Amino acid sequence: MIAVLGLIVGVVVGLVVRPVVPTVVEPYLPIAVVAALDAVFGGLRAMLDGIFDDKVFVVSFLSNVVVAALIVFLGDKLGVGAQLSTGVVVVLGIRIFSNAAAIRRHVFRA
Amino acid sequence: MATDETPEPEQKPEPQQGRGPADRRPMPPESRPAPAAASAEGTDSPKPDDTQQNAGKPADAGVPAAEAEDKASGTPQNGRQRLAASLWPPRLTRAQLIVALLLFILGLGLAIQVRSTSDSSALRGARQEDLVRILDELDNRSQRLTEEQRRLEGQKTELENSSDQAEEARKQTVEKEQQLGVLAGTVAAQGPGITLTIDDATHSVEADKLLDTVQELRAAGAEAIQVNDVRVVANTYLSDVSGGVQIDGKRVAQPYRFKVIGKPEDLEPALNIPGGVVQTLEKEQAKVSVTRQRKIIVDALREAKRPDYARLSSR
Repeated sequence: MIAVLGLIVGVVVGLVVRPVVPTVVEPYLPIAVVAALDAVFGGLRAMLDGIFDDKVFVVSFLSNVVVAALIVFLGDKLGVGAQLSTGVVVVLGIRIFSNAAAIRRHVFRA
Repeated sequence: MATDETPEPEQKPEPQQGRGPADRRPMPPESRPAPAAASAEGTDSPKPDDTQQNAGKPADAGVPAAEAEDKASGTPQNGRQRLAASLWPPRLTRAQLIVALLLFILGLGLAIQVRSTSDSSALRGARQEDLVRILDELDNRSQRLTEEQRRLEGQKTELENSSDQAEEARKQTVEKEQQLGVLAGTVAAQGPGITLTIDDATHSVEADKLLDTVQELRAAGAEAIQVNDVRVVANTYLSDVSGGVQIDGKRVAQPYRFKVIGKPEDLEPALNIPGGVVQTLEKEQAKVSVTRQRKIIVDALREAKRPDYARLSSR
């Protein structure tokens, strides 16, 4: 419950305060957000499976974000940033979908 | 397609299960996660109460209230119940706080990203190479447009020139038409010149004398000549008829009045030179007078005749 509240508060704060993101970080933000979403869906699935562990969640969340940003950064340096970020989004999207399917089976039994 | 989270906690407590979490279907989750969760706690929980132990497990292990609640209900655990249990009675635990913090960060990033993509142009979030590409495209486009502009301006100048030229040509044509009209006798003309009057009482002046006069005037630079009311032009002919002279088939009566446009200083001496026209005519008993005038109007006209046979031989 508090976690859900945290999400809501984060969205509200982001919309209201309108913080300025440094331009260095700006290109990596969307990928980082998608990676974090993937971690969150994975965590939700783990929780429904009953194997949720906060430490694992924290580590996976942070590593997901860092690795995703790193891949995009590397891609930018190699000149294939657009393709690599597309690839990252595709992979994360597939994972999100599979996690969402698992969650759906738990919640709706279907 | 296993997630990061599913395998790790599973493998940590129970390595002997091996590949289990990656392949298994989550349909009967309550049977297998239960021992995993229990052993994750570090306590080898006995079988009988593993449902109870499992109850509070996913969200926050070790909260007595939750366990008590689940114990009281005594229902078999599944994902849905776990979700509901973790959602409703809000519990302030380390795990919840950490997850809340991370989700707060996620929400913040999400909101910022949505904001920045929705409130500003598409260029804001674009990356360097995309921007370079867009810039290139814009450069190309502006180059193309500049080229087109140059082409159109050239066309415009050309058209202006050609319309200027057409105007010039039209002016020249009008001018030439007027010049030729004076020569052909189709337009009236005015200018300095002389009048020559031949009063021939004895009718001794014949067509050849008049022709000589006209030739003399032409030789002296006469530009337009009129005899009485007949314009004298290139194809004018003179012929004798009984008791007079016809010019271009029209009879001209006495006295013959020549109106001549030209340089008076040239015309008058040309007529008056010794043995010239005037003397010859006076020999024929005609009275001849020549006067210079500042302004002569030659207004007898001939109609322009379209040639039947003669055609332009070149452009």
